[in-house]
Amino acid sequence: MRFVNLGAAALVSIAILFLSFIGLGSSLPALGPAFNPVTGAWSIAADASSYGSQTLHLAGLQQPAHVVLESNGTAHISASTDHDLFLAAGYVHAKFRLFQMDLLRRQGEGRLSEVIGKAALDSDRFELQLGLLRTARREWSELPAGDQSRAALAAYAQGVNDRIDEAESRHQLPAMFTLLGYQPKPWTPIDSLIVKGDMTQTLNFTDTPLVMALLSKTLGPDLTSEWFPVLPPNQQSPYDPGPYQPKAAPAPVEGMRVVSDAEATSIADLYGRLRALPAGLIASGGASNNWAVAGSHSASGGALLAGDPHLHLTLPAIWFQLSMDSPGYHASGVSIPGTPMVLIGHNQHIAWSLTDAQNQQTFFYEEKEDSAHPGQYFWNGAWKQYTTVSYDIPVLGGSTDHLNVRISVHGPVIGERGLSTSVWWGGSMPSQDLGVLLRIGQAGDFAGFRNALRDWHSPTHNFVYSDDKGNIGLISAGYYPQVARGTPWLPMPGTGEYDVTGTIPYDQIPQVYNPPSGVVWSANQRQVANDYPYYIGTSSNFFDPGYRANEISRYLAQDKKFTTADMVAIQNDTRDYLASEIVPVLLQSLAGETLNATEKAAQADLASWDYRMELDSPAASIWWTFWQQYLSSTFDPWWKSHNVKVDRFEGGNSNPLNDALGQDLEAWTLRNPTNPVFTLIGSAQNASDVMKQAFHPTVRSLESRLGADPSHWGWGRMHGRTLENLAQIRGLDYGPQPDRGDAYTPLAAPDFPSTHGPSWRMVVDWGAGTFQGVYPGGQSENPASAWYSDRVATWWDGRYSPMLAADAAASTAGAVSWSLES
Amino acid sequence: MSLLRRPPALILVGTAISVAALYLGAWWVPFPVGLLLGLLVPRARFSIPAGAAVGFVAWTVPLVGEQVQYGLRPAASSIAAIMGLTGAADLPVALTILVGTLLGASGGWLGSATRTVVRARRDSARLVPNRPLPVEDSNRLAPTGHDVPAGR
Repeated sequence: MRFVNLGAAALVSIAILFLSFIGLGSSLPALGPAFNPVTGAWSIAADASSYGSQTLHLAGLQQPAHVVLESNGTAHISASTDHDLFLAAGYVHAKFRLFQMDLLRRQGEGRLSEVIGKAALDSDRFELQLGLLRTARREWSELPAGDQSRAALAAYAQGVNDRIDEAESRHQLPAMFTLLGYQPKPWTPIDSLIVKGDMTQTLNFTDTPLVMALLSKTLGPDLTSEWFPVLPPNQQSPYDPGPYQPKAAPAPVEGMRVVSDAEATSIADLYGRLRALPAGLIASGGASNNWAVAGSHSASGGALLAGDPHLHLTLPAIWFQLSMDSPGYHASGVSIPGTPMVLIGHNQHIAWSLTDAQNQQTFFYEEKEDSAHPGQYFWNGAWKQYTTVSYDIPVLGGSTDHLNVRISVHGPVIGERGLSTSVWWGGSMPSQDLGVLLRIGQAGDFAGFRNALRDWHSPTHNFVYSDDKGNIGLISAGYYPQVARGTPWLPMPGTGEYDVTGTIPYDQIPQVYNPPSGVVWSANQRQVANDYPYYIGTSSNFFDPGYRANEISRYLAQDKKFTTADMVAIQNDTRDYLASEIVPVLLQSLAGETLNATEKAAQADLASWDYRMELDSPAASIWWTFWQQYLSSTFDPWWKSHNVKVDRFEGGNSNPLNDALGQDLEAWTLRNPTNPVFTLIGSAQNASDVMKQAFHPTVRSLESRLGADPSHWGWGRMHGRTLENLAQIRGLDYGPQPDRGDAYTPLAAPDFPSTHGPSWRMVVDWGAGTFQGVYPGGQSENPASAWYSDRVATWWDGRYSPMLAADAAASTAGAVSWSLES
Repeated sequence: MSLLRRPPALILVGTAISVAALYLGAWWVPFPVGLLLGLLVPRARFSIPAGAAVGFVAWTVPLVGEQVQYGLRPAASSIAAIMGLTGAADLPVALTILVGTLLGASGGWLGSATRTVVRARRDSARLVPNRPLPVEDSNRLAPTGHDVPAGR
């Protein structure tokens, strides 16, 4: 009996110790360290209260430095040397966002499986194939020893590591490390370059040529060419209307070609693989706004600038707000944790913001291989050996995965079933973006700003500019790759004739400075008019449909002196430009139609609507439901009759494919209502017939969903927004809550619920000397902190907070200060 | 050795050591403390609750301190959310205390069970050379035909 008792005690003890020391892999953390009430997950309670005034000792600091934290956590860092400034920035970022930073570098380095397990293996394999790590290493190795961005990256890494050391010694690592049971590795400059690469990928790596190939295979080259043209079928408002140089197109592109069965099979497989990856790894359209008004057109007499980049809205947010002051660098705005510079903001003389330029930077190549030449591909008339790189991917709770990546002259092979498909991606080209940001922060005029951007290659961005002299400008900086020939919007043969041969010269990329109109704007639209001589991507699948740009342009075309209030109004504008074009046509179509009482009420709502997607607007719900129905009524019969394998709704109903078809439908409805596309639908002969047919199910659908009374069909009952926790912990999300806007309004809110939108709003008035901004979230990633989501309400309501200078911030109520010493 | 005769004092000392250890990251200390209690204190029925008490108190005291200092609710809610138990903020608190209690209790049980076995073996080892059998048994074991001396 005594031995039975001992055995039972031993077994129970082993079980308890096992769960406490080791846990059950990814499903249950090691309970002991995770729930240690002092150093485990509970340390978030102490961390949330650890931001008071204090003296901190940081290894590597050359001189004492200073950090002021406003009552909302906005950090103002002042240092006597540039080195100390970036070191302190690293420390501050890590103090508030270390887990986020670690997650971002792990994603780009293909090391998520190590801490999450097998679920992340597809992502890791893809990232290592794509090669963010290879690019980051190359960028680091190409930085000369005396380069100021190299020094900044090194100092920043030191600051991050100071915080890691401090957190480990004080048992203050963020709770997620404890719960996942690992400790962060030391930060390196390459990690910062990886984080930069993550952003490049999410904004710039597209699978659109694969989609186009699948469409071409099923719809046929003619319909695909017509429906997905290079130039936009609808009316757009490019910010750089020309004239352009040179006059003749230097790189001819060919028409749509036939896609073979073998290609289609191979492409479908690769497309399926990419679509199965986690959201954010493939760029799927953009939505950001920025514009500027010259001093001559503003009420204050100074230039105005507004910027609201639209990204996946997460908690913690992608942004961290700070100001940075040293002898060689001054900037105030938002930075991405993991990188040492302000990405969007202002210095003493200039302000800038950015939107994604959306030009094509991803080109797919089908490598020619045969069994007589194993490990080789045919290029430029000869067989060439693939370069092979090997990786080991540690997997939590599983065996290490081994990956071989073949690399051709075009780039890594990412599709290996059937044809070997490699990808030329602009993000794989070294781009010293952090050095550019450093020089932008140091620039004092447009020439300095423009010169700095000369070295910005990827992701291509529309950089809007304003300065304290009343000047404005816009440059779509980055690489615009040009192919020798072929169809760059489809996968191309990898035999050499269709290769990327260069990029558009910097002087000829889209750009304007002090245009006569006194305003500049971008909202991911095609930046140039149809006579621009270079190929920069297909309007249908790389650029935005242009409705936000049109609406912003419409507002800025008013003959008035603009104010900060106007800038705020546009950023919070919910007017749907497409609705303003289509609804009048719909109402005309319905004029002679027999309608029931509910339909008549819906018609009346539309007739009195101001096209604003507001919470209490039934017309907004009717419009959006109608537009989706109209798209379906028009294109679903074609999808069915041609057995199209590409899901129109992949990635939500505002995906690039649907947006492209929407542009067609808009153009045909307004200018070509008898287009043959409409004749496939029952007895319909034209756009008006299809609109009428679509209106009845629209009303029926809303009736069944929202009740019989159209006055209760407010948009807020259909449409909401969620800020998603970065680690996908649903209990730490904010929302969903009803919200305004849609995919086409300047206040962008695509999808249901929307998880994408204005990630930072900034308005600058140089005349009044006011700078204001807000982002949805908070400075801390600690969910127990008051700074986790304290800015959300301000942002949601369309309000802003002043972007203060460090000395002004120090005297605000609730501000605390940190003295940093070595 | 006088401490061994005062179990409450033992628990107190063990608890103090366990609390201090938590601040150093040594969360596992309630287990060896419980183990020692089980090994050293002769009363088996005492060891498991004593170990449990050490773990319970050691892991509760810091939580109480954090509640007083910072307020535990936001942290508890966040941890519950991370665990997928949104809205059940009490559960992380209960789980935390349970882990500490189980560490101490299992240590106490293992120590006590070990002590019982070791003592029994030791006792049985001593039994053969030193301790004479009881009279009745001696008689029973005596070879047939041999009388056991009277008066034993």
